[in-house]
Amino acid sequence: MATRSVPAVLRGGEGRELPLGLTLLAGAVAAVVLSPLVWVLASALEASGWLDLVTRPTTVRVFVNSALLVGLVTGASIALGVPMAYLTVRTDLPARRSFTVLLAMPLVIPSYIGAFAFVSAFGPRGELRDLLVPLGIEQLPSIYGLFGATLVLTLYTYPYVYITTRASLKSMDGRLVDAARTLQHTRWEAFKRVTVPQIKPAVAAGSLLTALYTLSDFGTPAIMRFDAFTRVIFVEYNDVLGGGRDLAALLSLQLVAVTFVILAVESRVRGSGVETDRTAKGSTVRLGRWRWPAFGLCAALAALALLVPLAILGLWLVRGGGGIGAESLAFRPSYALNSVGVAAIAAVVAACCALPVAYLSARSDASLAWLIERATYVGYAVPGVVMGLALVFFGARYGGALYKQGLILLPLLIFAYVVRFLPQAVGSTRASFLSVSGTLPEAARTLGRTPTRAFRDVVLPLVAPGVLGGAALVFLTTMKELPATLLLRPPEFKTLVTYIWTAQQSGHYGLAAVPALVLLGVSAVSMLVILYVEGYDVE
Amino acid sequence: MTDEPHATDEPQPSSRLGRPKSNVQRDGPSRRTRRRFLALAGSAGAAALAGCNASQAPGPQSESPTGTDADGDGGDGSDGSSADGGSGDPVGQVGSGREGRPAPGGTPMSEMPDLSGTVDVYSGRGEALVGALVEYIEDLYPDLNLRVRYGGSTDLVNTILTEGQNSPADVFYSVNAGSLGALAERDRAAELPEGVLELVRGEFRDPGGQWVGTSGRARTVPYNTEAFSESEIPDDIFAFPDASRFEDEMGWAPSYGSFQAFVTAMRILNGEEATREWLQGMLDLGIQSYSDEFAISQAIADGEIAAGFANHYYIQRVLDGRPDAPLATAFTEGDAGAVFNVAGAAVVDTADDTDMAANFVRHLLSAEAQEYFATTTFEYPLIPDVEPVGALPTIDELNPPQGLDLSELADIGPTIELLRDVGISV
Repeated sequence: MATRSVPAVLRGGEGRELPLGLTLLAGAVAAVVLSPLVWVLASALEASGWLDLVTRPTTVRVFVNSALLVGLVTGASIALGVPMAYLTVRTDLPARRSFTVLLAMPLVIPSYIGAFAFVSAFGPRGELRDLLVPLGIEQLPSIYGLFGATLVLTLYTYPYVYITTRASLKSMDGRLVDAARTLQHTRWEAFKRVTVPQIKPAVAAGSLLTALYTLSDFGTPAIMRFDAFTRVIFVEYNDVLGGGRDLAALLSLQLVAVTFVILAVESRVRGSGVETDRTAKGSTVRLGRWRWPAFGLCAALAALALLVPLAILGLWLVRGGGGIGAESLAFRPSYALNSVGVAAIAAVVAACCALPVAYLSARSDASLAWLIERATYVGYAVPGVVMGLALVFFGARYGGALYKQGLILLPLLIFAYVVRFLPQAVGSTRASFLSVSGTLPEAARTLGRTPTRAFRDVVLPLVAPGVLGGAALVFLTTMKELPATLLLRPPEFKTLVTYIWTAQQSGHYGLAAVPALVLLGVSAVSMLVILYVEGYDVE
Repeated sequence: MTDEPHATDEPQPSSRLGRPKSNVQRDGPSRRTRRRFLALAGSAGAAALAGCNASQAPGPQSESPTGTDADGDGGDGSDGSSADGGSGDPVGQVGSGREGRPAPGGTPMSEMPDLSGTVDVYSGRGEALVGALVEYIEDLYPDLNLRVRYGGSTDLVNTILTEGQNSPADVFYSVNAGSLGALAERDRAAELPEGVLELVRGEFRDPGGQWVGTSGRARTVPYNTEAFSESEIPDDIFAFPDASRFEDEMGWAPSYGSFQAFVTAMRILNGEEATREWLQGMLDLGIQSYSDEFAISQAIADGEIAAGFANHYYIQRVLDGRPDAPLATAFTEGDAGAVFNVAGAAVVDTADDTDMAANFVRHLLSAEAQEYFATTTFEYPLIPDVEPVGALPTIDELNPPQGLDLSELADIGPTIELLRDVGISV
């Protein structure tokens, strides 16, 4: 069970009992975010020839391809994210503070921009290939295919693992490791036997976001020319006459089914974690002669993930574009404000929706609480275009003249963001609820506070940093979202990503560079917020 | 729409645009236009009004309401008295136009029915390409509000289908015939009036009259004039694999949509086996892959390769920046290598006012719009009275394959399978 890890004493006396109001609230959130799936389901049922499609050898092959991609990216993200988190939290790595930030920053780069940059840099006739020749590298493996897709997706999603693992390393009781060391454990044994069980839930939570992102990403496999499952969805979707929309919906349901499997696996893994109510810094690990090799590793990773896209964006900026009609594409600062505006609203709404879900799931180990929490993850795996069309359907069907005048498009768009990215807020908020002892609000109640006031006055201030971190993560992801934004934005409403899309689509790479850099800059600020609030209970 | 007599707070057309609409002959919707025009124009208005009745209109300088220069760098309709078409109305100019071209023939916007109210356009064509044109049309009519939603053509068709009867879309403007055909096939397009359809040759519009092409792109063979003479470029696409002079000298862009449409055409016209052999033959010839066809045209101009396959306008774009580059255009005859695909428009069946929507589509086929496509986006104009740029043959001289339904070119699924099957990474 999800919260088996929380000793009963920490939860207080609530146990299996589900507080009615809270349950209703959390259940309502889950029901609302699942509602677009009704349309997906209805469309899928209308799909004809689906059996043929689902059992077609190509479909089976790409399904296997996707599974392979998800496995490799998740594995590689853990292999990168956990050591990097460990190095930046517990060791005397040189320039540790800088690396703390730099290693998290790849998350601000949309993976499609990363993919585009890697193809521009290392593809056939790539821009940066010449730089490698003096280093003795004349032949590169093809950037296309499984290798390239894994590389790019890993570089731009491993920070999910890195960030959650860092937070957990910072909040765990480091003295346990010291204790193990005094019991003659080697560093490695101590890590394996003490640290791993404690950080496992966090690693699992981060890997979950990485895996689900990889599963549902359209752009990267397309740019890296890798035959992932989403490509089949895309091909079917484009075949309007062949019932494209319905088949795309049907295939999306298959993604949802895979999501359930991933969610179940993650549940098992995180459930076995160990939580303590004491946090204290353990002693810093001295890297000794490994100090500089570790430094080199971190530097290489940050350079590969950050410098390649920045170099390509810089080249675009300097060179300008080869397209036409640039004068109708003047960039306006208002696009950045639009981006920030919708992302901020989405972040606030997601944070509020996450509160009851996370609280319920952290305080109760009843199956219903578990189910509600897991249900909020489903929207994350539904491809953006399919989610966008589902909301177009509901908007047009029930929005009447308001829809026709474009007046409810913005609320729909924000709803789409919340449905897609709520899990990021739920994860972070839940973790912070788990770290608050359940006895605290009870103490408040003995002092005469009502349950609501006890929550507001005692619990909320303690979990606020976690809520803020979750909101910042939603903000950052919303800033990057493209497919649903394109479908649901009102006419003439432009954001940074839609502008980048417009410019890139017409070959104006030079024009795409400035908003891309603005996007990275704004997102970087929200990343600093995330890092600032992590492990807040330590200091 | 309110009909206030004082409209001085209306936005003025920007000075780079040509003549504002000022048709004094008509009553009704244009009245407000006229009033506003009179209010703004002051003394300059008299000259401008005179221009409506005589082809010997004064120069563009005096047309502008503010009396300032309205971009007089030639090509404007004002010196078009010798142009054919016998139009009594001057032809405006979208954007900066191009020097040394005669005034375009065809019907100027001023002779088309006025537009007013709100028209929702779902545009699969990018804002960079058509934004200036949309703005020009909107500025022409003070009562007109064009709400344009830009997106992918397929996304927009799917959106219209999903929106059902409550779709705000009045006009669907698409990059290709495939999406238009899909909309028509699903019975979501209204039939266009004959007056709009007949502006365009039969093969570039829907036989059922549900959509019309508005501009076109020809598949061509760009070649380096220092490496080959025009006669050395085969006029049969199937002759390329056997011509050893092209060994390691050619380029293509297999991941590019228009290339895939060309292979799709070959599949439809010649069958899968012949297409597979052709692809294999080109691979054996050592053809090189590029990311896009602009890059191919650049590489040919640089002498990196000697020939390739590309849409005609990429060659023109290279020549636009480098007029002396040794780069020229060749065509194959009547086969897939000479496919001519169109961008076009349809009126959505749920449009509030289908006549108004059809008249917007009509404006895309005006002299001004067609001249804009020719000179700014380097596309083929689809009305015979406007010439393509450069040394390109006119549309009537082209020899595209016969009997090909353009909307079938959207069927790229089997094409991608085929490309992958012969080992081309797409």
